[in-house]
Amino acid sequence: MSLLQSSHWPFLIDVYFFLGGLAGGAFVIATVAGLVGSRLYRDVVRAGYYVALLALIPCPLILIVDLGVPGRFLNMMKTFNPQSPMSMGSWALAVFGLCVGLAALFTLIEDLQRKNLSNQKLIVGVIGGVFGFFVAAYPGVLLGATARPLWTNGHALGALFLAVGASTAAAAIALILTLAGRAAGEGATAIRRMTVLALLIQALSIVVFIVAVQGAGSAASDRALALLLSGPFKMTFWVGAIIVGTVVPLLLGLADLKRPSLALSAVTALLVLVGGFLVKYVVMAAGQA
Amino acid sequence: MARTLAMFTDTSLCIGCRACQVACKQWNELGPEVPDWTGSYQNHTHFTDKTFRLVRFFEAPGAAPNGDLAWLLMSDVCKHCADAGCLNACPTGAIYRTEHGTVNINQDVCNGCRYCVSACPFGVVSFNEQTGTATKCTFCNDRIHNGLGPACAKACPTESIQFGFRDDLVVKAQKRVETLKGMGFKEAQLYGADSKGFLGGLNAFFLLLGKPETYGLPVNPKLPQKNIFVDSLLSIGSAVLVGVGALMAFRSRGDGKEG
Ligand code: SF4
Ligand code: SF4
Repeated sequence: MSLLQSSHWPFLIDVYFFLGGLAGGAFVIATVAGLVGSRLYRDVVRAGYYVALLALIPCPLILIVDLGVPGRFLNMMKTFNPQSPMSMGSWALAVFGLCVGLAALFTLIEDLQRKNLSNQKLIVGVIGGVFGFFVAAYPGVLLGATARPLWTNGHALGALFLAVGASTAAAAIALILTLAGRAAGEGATAIRRMTVLALLIQALSIVVFIVAVQGAGSAASDRALALLLSGPFKMTFWVGAIIVGTVVPLLLGLADLKRPSLALSAVTALLVLVGGFLVKYVVMAAGQA
Repeated sequence: MARTLAMFTDTSLCIGCRACQVACKQWNELGPEVPDWTGSYQNHTHFTDKTFRLVRFFEAPGAAPNGDLAWLLMSDVCKHCADAGCLNACPTGAIYRTEHGTVNINQDVCNGCRYCVSACPFGVVSFNEQTGTATKCTFCNDRIHNGLGPACAKACPTESIQFGFRDDLVVKAQKRVETLKGMGFKEAQLYGADSKGFLGGLNAFFLLLGKPETYGLPVNPKLPQKNIFVDSLLSIGSAVLVGVGALMAFRSRGDGKEG
């Protein structure tokens, strides 16, 4: 019998991984939209930076709560350990937080004073975009750098978490535009295209992940994979993460691009958000079981 | 750096008395726990925040020299790996290496993130819910810095646990394997003695009477952080796809076609 132990990270950490990915994805999308056309895609840029801010605010709180003693979080800010994705991630989170705050502030100033700060936003956006990608991906790399059989053999978890960040962010922005009555604009069409593309990358990453664990071929990795694919997590994985969370919204999203409909957009976006969370949740739960 | 210290656990001498496990608990003031019923003499099933030395019992059919069932014993402990997954993982620097080559967790610095628990290839690090910190065998840090060996080695009545300089102990262990092979224990082998082998060698290494699998040990444990490079490359690949995808999505203007 193997002695491997589990960190037993609680549900809140899944929420953090989800929100961090959402914030990173939304920031990157806002930045790219601003680069391509800051006036044409004004709605997307605004929504993206605000979503990033809202998603990021709970993140440090979650991490602090998880540690039990609040002041202890600071211990992470006293060292810099490139070997530890957790150390690098907490630094990236700090820098990204700064960029998100600035981008949201610039957006707010624009909204209130009708000024044009797109140059300032571009600089913060490009720097913050790099860290946004990092914040979205590092949890997957962090899991890969453990001895847990499902994670250590998966190799594509960083890629997958980043893709989920992008798809859920696109969905969140699309949902906001739909609710705000801007579903017909250029931005809304583009963000729906983005959702579909991100879902494709998400699906690809899931396949690479499964194939990699399968290919590891050790008794431990086979057992871990069976937990996910045919064991206690099979419903959450196949029905939740794969069918409802990835395949169905992919088909709906494609249909929505052909013949746009408010209801279809909203349902697609909701499914992507739920599915993206379930992907991260099930990877965490099955990997720790 | 001083000469590396090590513990050599020769499982062929172990009689399963668990004096080491008790001595460890006493010296380190680890306190009582509710026992696990395992169906054998083993208690507990895993390392815990109050069990740093754990005598494990295995019934291995066909593993005895005459082909009979063998009753194998292993007094297990933190390996104080030369390349330690726990140490690399720690984001606070709480886990450090001493001048003797051992690996310790500074309880005042640990912030309770539990990353090291998942990062140890042997399931050694345990989380203490009371203190909210990670704990494990310290190689009796206080004792070895005062000229004493670890409490477990001191207590062992059969010298199954030996303490000393690593290079001396490895030579001794290799001789012991030859002796045992001569006695008919064909599977006698060292685990973690080779400093060019896995994890750069273990500073607590073992002599086993069977394959590592028989003892539930990983055959070729790898340093978890070895994955960071490939996993990061794949993440960058995904980031490029997302970035290009976003450019495509926003550049093809409302004509409905992908561009
Ligand atoms: S056995 Fe585990 S806890 Fe001990 S040094 Fe190695 S990685 Fe760290
Ligand atoms: S639980 Fe403590 S010792 Fe373990 S990695 Fe986190 S900070 Fe370091």
